[in-house]
Amino acid sequence: MHYHTIDIHNKPEREEIIEFLQKLGLGYEKDIEYTIALLDNGKIIGTGSISGKVLKSIAVDPQRQGEGIASKIITRLVKEQFKRGRTKIFLFTSPNKVEQFIGLGFQLLALAEPSYALLEMGMGGIKQYLQDLQKYKFKEINKKIISAIVLNANPFTLGHQYLVKKASLESDAVYIFVVREDKSLFPFKVRFSLIEQGCKKFNNVKIVDGGDYIISNATFPTYFSRESERDIVFAQASLDINIFVRYIVPTLKINRRYIGNEPYCETTNIYNQVMKKILPLSGVEIIEVSRFEKEGEALSASSVRDLIKKPDFAEIKKLVPSSTYRFLTSREAEPIIKKIKFSDSRH
Amino acid sequence: MKGKIKIGQAGTLESSDVLVLVRFSPRQKGIDIELESPSKKCFGKIIIKKIEETLNLLGITDIYIKAQDRGALDCTISARVETAVKRALNYKEEEEK
Repeated sequence: MHYHTIDIHNKPEREEIIEFLQKLGLGYEKDIEYTIALLDNGKIIGTGSISGKVLKSIAVDPQRQGEGIASKIITRLVKEQFKRGRTKIFLFTSPNKVEQFIGLGFQLLALAEPSYALLEMGMGGIKQYLQDLQKYKFKEINKKIISAIVLNANPFTLGHQYLVKKASLESDAVYIFVVREDKSLFPFKVRFSLIEQGCKKFNNVKIVDGGDYIISNATFPTYFSRESERDIVFAQASLDINIFVRYIVPTLKINRRYIGNEPYCETTNIYNQVMKKILPLSGVEIIEVSRFEKEGEALSASSVRDLIKKPDFAEIKKLVPSSTYRFLTSREAEPIIKKIKFSDSRH
Repeated sequence: MKGKIKIGQAGTLESSDVLVLVRFSPRQKGIDIELESPSKKCFGKIIIKKIEETLNLLGITDIYIKAQDRGALDCTISARVETAVKRALNYKEEEEK
């Protein structure tokens, strides 16, 4: 028995893995960055892959089950993650395999029946994240309406500010969760800081790091990819919202979530639909706010990015708060602006 | 040393072994051990004591350890802890993320 690192750019090697997975009813997604196979006499008996912080496409030949092959593969993948400096490990699998992985030391985070389960292992974890959240928690106990908003804010516009303002006026307390995953053109630190500056005047608003648990590469990978099948997006959106409901809502006693309606992006649209389905069942009211309009057109961060491409800074000035505008015209923004000009990324 | 972390690992998730993950960071104060084990109820305290003993012998006072046990013997536990610690100490320093 020996391990073989698959050259994922080598078509025949990759095809062999894909075929092995297909026989077991499993897929091999495009975002995979590393794949390993366990071979016995040249025949694949097991495989596993890495995509970001997530282990996925893990499978063992059904005739070789019970020999500890899955634990061998997981061990190898965990070590590979360590080499990459990743100490937090997620695992994507199907709900019927959850028990097996719990036996190996994983903890179940959430299910999205019938297709997805997300587990985690390693340092930190959801417990640590919830402890960190406690630090942000509003001290007073007489808060009645406690709202949440999730923002990627790529970058922060007047539209975001309008949504926050409305939530701030209508709630006793507001938490803004900032998507941490650095897959957007504006890096996390910049997005976070522009939200902070643009929300200074709202004194019942706290800005929180969304960590690995709100729209991340672990909970919702297809959010960051351009084209995805509807069903997959739907399942992953459910997973993400299930984690929100199960852990974050009770920790911060959230009972309302503000969302912007989504006229353009299908993925976000599905996400909104899933929220409307799941959140009210857990006592979280949804307030859908119509997009802030400028000259009859709904404003979105992508329209600002399009204007950066042009470039048309006079027009941008009308769409973003002065703090965002100041940043965009600063030296610090130059490399980001360069990146936007040469990019055709959805994010 | 400001802002630097060092990580190391040793062991496996196979039966009768333990996977030990360790992290040194400037923010870490004291010994922090997180244990997952199928026999945590019966042997949790003994396993943790064994880990602490090993750290004492190595002269380590500030560390975060995650031990993913699958029924390892005492000698295995201390060997894995020692290796993970030594690997971490040789880890090329990286910027804390």
